[in-house]
Amino acid sequence: MDFFLDSLKSALLLLWSLDPELFFIIYVSLKVSFTATVFAGLAGIPCGFLIALRDFPGKKALATFLNSMLALPTVVVGLFVYAFISRRGVLGFLDLLYTQTAMVIGQFILILPIVITFTSAAVSQVDSRFRKTALTLGATQFQAALLIFGEARFGIVASMIAAFGRVVSEIGIAMMLGGNIKGFTRTMTTAMALEYDKGEFVLAVALGIVLLLISVCLNVVFRMIQGRSRI
Amino acid sequence: MILFEAKDLTKTYGKRTVLDLPYFSLDEGAVYCLQGPNGSGKTTLLEILSFLLPPTTGDIFYKGRKIDSNIVRLTDLRREIVLVPQNPVLFSRTVYGNVEVGLKIRGIQAEQRDVRIRECLDIVNMLDLANAHVRGLSGGEVQRTAIAMGLACSPKVIFFDEPTSNLDSMSRKAIERIIKSINELDGITVVFTTHDAEQAFRLAGSVIALHEGRLVNSAFGNIFNGLVTDDSVDRKICLVENMVRLRVDTPKAGPVSVCISPTDLRIVNDPGASAVENLLKGTITRISNEGEMVLITLDLGFPLNVALPQENIVLSTLCLGRELHVLCPSSSIQIL
Repeated sequence: MDFFLDSLKSALLLLWSLDPELFFIIYVSLKVSFTATVFAGLAGIPCGFLIALRDFPGKKALATFLNSMLALPTVVVGLFVYAFISRRGVLGFLDLLYTQTAMVIGQFILILPIVITFTSAAVSQVDSRFRKTALTLGATQFQAALLIFGEARFGIVASMIAAFGRVVSEIGIAMMLGGNIKGFTRTMTTAMALEYDKGEFVLAVALGIVLLLISVCLNVVFRMIQGRSRI
Repeated sequence: MILFEAKDLTKTYGKRTVLDLPYFSLDEGAVYCLQGPNGSGKTTLLEILSFLLPPTTGDIFYKGRKIDSNIVRLTDLRREIVLVPQNPVLFSRTVYGNVEVGLKIRGIQAEQRDVRIRECLDIVNMLDLANAHVRGLSGGEVQRTAIAMGLACSPKVIFFDEPTSNLDSMSRKAIERIIKSINELDGITVVFTTHDAEQAFRLAGSVIALHEGRLVNSAFGNIFNGLVTDDSVDRKICLVENMVRLRVDTPKAGPVSVCISPTDLRIVNDPGASAVENLLKGTITRISNEGEMVLITLDLGFPLNVALPQENIVLSTLCLGRELHVLCPSSSIQIL
């Protein structure tokens, strides 16, 4: 117990001292996760809209597939992307392996089903009469979609928060595609795993505290948004 | 001028035909009431005429222009027509913000928008609640906001789907006043649906009755169950509601729906001793003066509405409880 308390005390001091290495790791984590979430949002939100509002052959099969992908293991995504971007892969010439870009690609694939599925669910829950109301007020199909977006906005933002929470705390993709290179691709989770391997708990505990704080903050925001969406 | 014209219009869902209109037209600047029981196709017809729902077959003409069957391409026409649904939904923003939606869609400048929004909120008497969020509004206020949203778009035609259902009498009167004024002051063509015969009389210049998706000549609830049989001299007799026998002209036999046009019924003051065909006797249970018409409800064992032009009758001769004979010509009876 003393060992843990000593580590916790040292970790808090490390955070208090604004240690550059610690904060660079946090910066890389947030940057990669944020970028992956933005791209997943740009691709996933329109897809979620289409799935919710349009009928097409194979819609149910696609929804089932996307639901299955929600529980996609991160190491499977890491392995899949690795097969493409490693030197022997078809995209090996791009030299993406062990870069932040590779991590973003992997994390994008990981959370895209989350954004699509949650957006689709949020849009499906919007009363169908909103679309008719928008159209009878003279809206084009695109303007009607924007108005529906407005009604589903809390659900869509919640999907983005859930997606960010998933990538910021994952380790498989960051380790397999980023390589945990110090000062370049080392993220909070990979750094914690490394420090654990080394038996050095101070940095791991400090990062754990930050990760926990991020998780708590995301959940608070998520709850607030859920609360507003029920109004 | 004919505003809407529909030919051979049908709408089917699976094997069920919910609308079947060989011909239908609406004139510009008039007020129409669509009447019929639940499931008669009123809402479907309004949605088709609002270009929100494509018909299964048939042609629609708006101002003489044949309408494309692909309703996605009809945004320009949809901007002349507004449908206020039976249970309107409002966007989650203020009353002002909701009325603003149609104007923003049209790209109207903020200053012009503000003027128009205030005008429309004033018409529906909602100016005081302009900044209120819609989640706190009553049913009548929601309905009035929805009307203001439509009015703000300066439409040529407004369709109201049961605008006063589930509203108290105060709100109902307010909505009726709005419907009248937008037609009289702005010349907007108004089509509304209602179950209320008196309201139909009060507001509409013409009443169009629908039953099971078809036009019938019997508005104001005169739609009954009947059984058509052949009599001894090979004429068709319809037993209406198991109470009254009427001679009818129809090729049909067996259980049918019977529509009796209330405007085609005639009062017979002296029925005489001899039996007159299709002469009905009932007790007056209700008399109401509705604009240019007088609506009389007779109790024949079932209620029968008779609509008569005011100038054709002497109101003082009618009183509640008095027995009245009405002639029901076979031409006024429609067998469905």
